[in-house]
Amino acid sequence: MKTIQIIEDDKSLREELSILLKHAGYDVVMVEHFSDVYRQMTETTCDLILLDISLPEENGELLLQKYRRKHDTPVIMLTSRSSEMDEVISLSYGANDYITKPYHPTILLLRIAEILKRKDSPSKINMYQDIQVNLLKGTLSRDRQEEILTKNEMIIFQMLLEHQGEIVQREVLMTALWNNDEFLNDNALSVNVSRLRAKLGSFGLSDAIETRKKLGYLLK
Amino acid sequence: MKLGSYLKDRVPAYIMEALATIIVVVFLVAFRIQSQIIVLVLIVEFIAWISTELWEWSRKRKFYAELETKLEELERKYLVMEVMEEPDFLEGKLLYAALKETDKSMAEAVSEEHRQNKEFREFIELWVHEVKLPLSSLRLMCHNHPGMEEKFLMQIKRIEDYVDNVLYYARSDSSEQDYVIKEVSLHKIASAVIMRNREVLQLIDAELHIKDLDLTVLTDGKWLEYILNQLLSNTLKYKDENRGLKIEIHAEDHEQSSALVFHDNGRGIPSSDLPYIFEKSFTGTNGRTISGSTGMGLYIVKQMCNRLGADIVCTSVEQEFTEFKITFPKHDFLKMQ
Repeated sequence: MKTIQIIEDDKSLREELSILLKHAGYDVVMVEHFSDVYRQMTETTCDLILLDISLPEENGELLLQKYRRKHDTPVIMLTSRSSEMDEVISLSYGANDYITKPYHPTILLLRIAEILKRKDSPSKINMYQDIQVNLLKGTLSRDRQEEILTKNEMIIFQMLLEHQGEIVQREVLMTALWNNDEFLNDNALSVNVSRLRAKLGSFGLSDAIETRKKLGYLLK
Repeated sequence: MKLGSYLKDRVPAYIMEALATIIVVVFLVAFRIQSQIIVLVLIVEFIAWISTELWEWSRKRKFYAELETKLEELERKYLVMEVMEEPDFLEGKLLYAALKETDKSMAEAVSEEHRQNKEFREFIELWVHEVKLPLSSLRLMCHNHPGMEEKFLMQIKRIEDYVDNVLYYARSDSSEQDYVIKEVSLHKIASAVIMRNREVLQLIDAELHIKDLDLTVLTDGKWLEYILNQLLSNTLKYKDENRGLKIEIHAEDHEQSSALVFHDNGRGIPSSDLPYIFEKSFTGTNGRTISGSTGMGLYIVKQMCNRLGADIVCTSVEQEFTEFKITFPKHDFLKMQ
């Protein structure tokens, strides 16, 4: 299980964030005393840090700058300051992402997942049963048989594959698509899912994706 | 100061002098002084009088002419005495001293006002950042405790937009430059704005056409994001209830400029309202009939475009569409830096 460290001085925000992350299946470590954030930051081992910019004792940007000299754990800056300058500074100090408050929980989770994925899966080939899923080529293949997926279909399939055996809500699929600049509406999502089904069908897996009414889809 | 008007101003003195001269002449004649001597006296007096007047006029003219031209040239006219030299005649000296004093107190008042304005603005910025914390918490709570959240999220989004209005109104009005001009991808901005409005857009099942946006412009990304968000929230407010909402965003690349075009199929703007939509506090027919519009949104948008050096125009046909086009000039010299 991945561990995420939250450095945020607003108590209610910090607690809601930890609930959100725990629900999403992460371990959470929180900084609660802000007198020596840097020491706590370096002593905790974690996979990703969510760092607020305006902290009571120190400035998050300076903390990040100091931290980056010795550590390469991914850091996402969270801030309510929304000027272009703040973003430029944070990114130049080595932030992996920069998210302004009020952020959307689903988007935050997607960004976290993206960064963690980038960090530890250099291989771009996954397997579904005996089918090879090639993300770079955008194909499904088995032996000599190959099906080309569109970008949308690949995003949907990937989301379902990552949560294989669980229901993935339509809303989550939509957000993942939108996050990749594919702004589908409800109807278009259904069309894409049924095309994906047809392509899986050619491998003899036409009922791999189940529709759960009013909930979402499930990949068996 | 023209000679004519100076002479006119001096008429009472001339009358007095003329009267005095006539009396002197009468006396001289009464004492039977030789007429050559009388003429001589008159000539001497006349020459002395003319030269005094010319000298007086010329030194005053020098001061006032300088005052007039400097007033014309100066942008902040109340500072004129700072650039003037003290004149050498009494009235001028008095005026100079009085105006110097006025200037000083004016400059003090202005800088005090500036300071208060700045403090107020800083407070607004701080306040906005603070209010975003509970808003973030609320969003997370909605997500963590599902059920009813759609309704809550809509209202939270409204508050967020209003809060942003305050922030950008303060920013757009201030005399300080707090934007950063750099190359900004239109695609990235449009995506960010759409993601910000994702819940509403998905709820009403809007059809989005985002195309030909692979273009960068020189502007402040956050400001442009605010501008686009404002246009989108207007679109959502004034959509046509009888048909599904369609939004199209695309870019145009011209030799001298680039443009971002935002097109919707909403209820449109009556042509009688169209010329005034960017004016402060203008609410128009739509604003009055549909929702409590403050008439500030598009005003702020226009102000921000002005400050960014961009141009915004709106075309619309009632019941059909509304289209906003933001044009960014291309500055090659900026790109080279």
